[in-house]
Amino acid sequence: MSDRDDFREEIEFHVDMRAELNRAGGVSEDQARESARRQFGNATLIQEDMRRMHVNTFLESLLQDLRYATRGFARQPLFTLTAVFAAALGIGSTSAVFSVVDRILFRSLPYAHDDRLGSLGMIAPLDTNEFLFADAYFDWRKHQTPFTSVTSFTAGVADCDLTQTNPLRLGCAQVEGNFLSTFGVSPVLGRDFTAQEDVPNGPRVALMNYGLWQSRFARDPNIPGKTVLIDGQPVTIVGVLPPNFEMPTLAHADLLFPEALDEARERAGRALRVFARLKPDVTLAQAQAAMQPLFEASLQYVPPQFRKEVHLRMRSLRDRQVQDARTASWVLLGAVGAVLLIACANIANLLLARATSRRKELAVRAALGAGRGRLIRQTLTETLLLGTMGGVAGCALAWALLRMFVSLAPEGIPRLDQAALDPRVLLFTLAGSIASGLLFGIAPAIQNPQAESLTGSRTAGTRRMLLREWLCAGQIAISLVLLVLAGMLLRSLWKIQSVPMGLETEHVITAEFVLSRLGYSEDARQHQFLNELEARLAKIPGVGSFAISDSLPPSGGTRGRLLASMQVEGQPPFDKGTGGLIMWRYVTPGYFSALGIPIVRGRAFTENDRAPGASSMMLSQTFAQRLFPNGDAVGKRIKTVEWATIVGVAADVRNLGPLQPAEPEYYILRRHVPDEISHIQEPPTGWRQAKVAIRTSVNANVMAGWIKREFAALDPALPVTIGSMQRRVGRLVDRPRFNALLLTLFAGMGVLLAAVGLYGVMAFLVAQRTAEIGVRMALGATPAAITKLVLSRAAGWTLAGVLAGLAGSIFATRALQSMLFGVEARDPSTYLVVLPVLLLIALAAAWIPTLRAARVDPMNALRHE
Amino acid sequence: MVELQGTLVLLILKTLAHGPNHGFGIALHIQAASDGLLRVEEGSLYPALHRLERDKLVSAEWKVTDNKRRARYYKLTPAGRKWLAKAEDNWDSMAKGVGRVLRFA
Repeated sequence: MSDRDDFREEIEFHVDMRAELNRAGGVSEDQARESARRQFGNATLIQEDMRRMHVNTFLESLLQDLRYATRGFARQPLFTLTAVFAAALGIGSTSAVFSVVDRILFRSLPYAHDDRLGSLGMIAPLDTNEFLFADAYFDWRKHQTPFTSVTSFTAGVADCDLTQTNPLRLGCAQVEGNFLSTFGVSPVLGRDFTAQEDVPNGPRVALMNYGLWQSRFARDPNIPGKTVLIDGQPVTIVGVLPPNFEMPTLAHADLLFPEALDEARERAGRALRVFARLKPDVTLAQAQAAMQPLFEASLQYVPPQFRKEVHLRMRSLRDRQVQDARTASWVLLGAVGAVLLIACANIANLLLARATSRRKELAVRAALGAGRGRLIRQTLTETLLLGTMGGVAGCALAWALLRMFVSLAPEGIPRLDQAALDPRVLLFTLAGSIASGLLFGIAPAIQNPQAESLTGSRTAGTRRMLLREWLCAGQIAISLVLLVLAGMLLRSLWKIQSVPMGLETEHVITAEFVLSRLGYSEDARQHQFLNELEARLAKIPGVGSFAISDSLPPSGGTRGRLLASMQVEGQPPFDKGTGGLIMWRYVTPGYFSALGIPIVRGRAFTENDRAPGASSMMLSQTFAQRLFPNGDAVGKRIKTVEWATIVGVAADVRNLGPLQPAEPEYYILRRHVPDEISHIQEPPTGWRQAKVAIRTSVNANVMAGWIKREFAALDPALPVTIGSMQRRVGRLVDRPRFNALLLTLFAGMGVLLAAVGLYGVMAFLVAQRTAEIGVRMALGATPAAITKLVLSRAAGWTLAGVLAGLAGSIFATRALQSMLFGVEARDPSTYLVVLPVLLLIALAAAWIPTLRAARVDPMNALRHE
Repeated sequence: MVELQGTLVLLILKTLAHGPNHGFGIALHIQAASDGLLRVEEGSLYPALHRLERDKLVSAEWKVTDNKRRARYYKLTPAGRKWLAKAEDNWDSMAKGVGRVLRFA
């Protein structure tokens, strides 16, 4: 705009004009010039000044503001520390929670146009997720209209073994040929399956997971075309999946095989997970409506008794993956958002207090020519600097919190292992810092410095005081909401934990394993292994009672039978619907004593029951009452696969967790030799999957070592997972405990911040009114009266906050209802506990400043004026 | 001579309120209008003009004067006009106040 020549020319013009004027006064040419120059002064210096006016740009004034702000903060370390601490608490916890829930709620899934993907199928009491039997799937696939493509994989990822040097247990999934193309995924190496490969009895080919390729095959670029041994069979690898590939159900799969559905023979076939890509402009609801007729037509494949219990379900892929974590995610995000809000209100309050004491300084600057915009910018620079410092400290806190989340988190939080402070989260943190900086900076910034501030009068702060009280009331309101939510979750957790599970979990060690398909496909071989295992376990010193079962509580058995398909001796066949699915377990005699399940009637299984020709079973109490409401079950006979005599009734076990009532179940005794039941080798694992429960008083780690040694002696390649019954049962309450813990943590932060805020406002109020208090005392007010005066002020806005908080809680708890067990959202007892706690903390926060007020020395106070 | 530092901006803008002018013209006008009581230092005038230009209270352009010389002419912007109106009010009340104090003393 202006360069050096322009400045010089402007100055020369001035000097020339002045010289001309001098000449007109009758001075000689030289003298006129000389005196004009002298009058102008140091032209070079002035030129420099002029130039500086233009380069004093935005950046330079920003640096100036920053320097000024830093000096100011350094002068008030306590203020700065408190503000940064509050900001860090708010921003840090928000970032940590965001890094977790972002993966659940917001971040796109690793598929092309992931929002167009959905999961569909039938929903039935068997499974919490939708599935489809192959016969119905063939019809749906052929006649569907709302999708550009549908695909499936066989439900469940089965264990399989890499059987070459250094055998490895892998997860193998069977997917349809168009699986990858439907999800918009292409292999990073090699190719996808061809149509010729996804046919019955097609070539044995597989796609390999990136992780396996990396860890086991050292990223061999020539892997496509190579052959590996899976369960003893040669399999040709055709391609490698991209590193971010994941199954749509989030199950872990190392190898994908062609599903090879046989449309001609698969009519009564396997259960499939079905996924589809929506056509453009088709919504999920429209797709569901379009599939309804197909669903109704395919009910023909469902056993008639079952039809009423089966429905069509279509949902987005994200909903399929997130399951029930959505509500908890939003509640946690809301809770940290509330903490952030409290932190902002807190800092705004601190800044307002600081602004009041800086009124004179700002007024002086205004009088010296600083524009209003300049002063607002200065204030905003300060708050943004605070926000940034809080953000940096918050990042450190977020890192620590995230590590805590991951170590404490229960299983089943989707994608928790991926949560990290990556650029996206850091960007969020940055945005959060700036947004909160602006939020808590607005209030002080819009306060216009007024000339009257220079007079030292104290009336100017009244409006501001009101704002500060409202901010304080707001903090109390939000913390009350947080406390109520945390209280509800804690009460709910307590109720959950006090529900008896029906077992004694202490001192019980578990071992889980799946025998490999290659060596144990026949039931005779399975029996041989399990008999030897039984004999070896019995010899371990310190083993009390133990059991081998196909499944262990708490979790329903892995096998079920429709009540309608059973025959009870002396009773007519069941004809009211299916009667529901009754779960059952395949156990050895020690099952009940090992798990501490009481026998209510009759006796437990004994070794004699396993003799050839004997056939016995046991019922759970609920099941016994259902079948024999008026009589004793013991001695009656029931036919499942074969006729068996009921020898006893065991107490109920809450298999589905403390939140669900006990479901009926029955127990079949596992014999030493193959029988009709052991012939049922259902896919995917048949009876190869087994679990051992051992009651022992020996130290768990020592016992674990002994158990592993016995397994290794039987089959050195068999992976065994050792655990404890306590851990298995505890896992059921992990989720509620985690939620309650986090919410309590955030509520604690909120209350702490609110208390600091209340204390700050009270202390400021007392300091500001010292003179007034002095006058009152001089006029005869007692310390008690002063205490009352100050406390009533605090009580006023605490009450306002409490009322607002109660109103907010009623709304907030409604959102929480689905996470509560045995606690009503309007449960008054939670409020009865939470309210006194909050009021006590508020009183404590107000107490110190109040004491100070009551101890004001009137002489000292008045001398200040 | 009265110290002009804080009020220089006010004087410049008031001068420009009569119409665009160059630096020398402004200096001359202030001196003449105050009957020679106020004299503007060039060392303050030019930096002040450039600061006002940066703050967009005045705008500047090169023009040719009546006697065919190139000179930098300054002109009041709408923002400058507003600022001036406010500053004049403030000045009046302050002058009144100061006057009263002086009379009282």
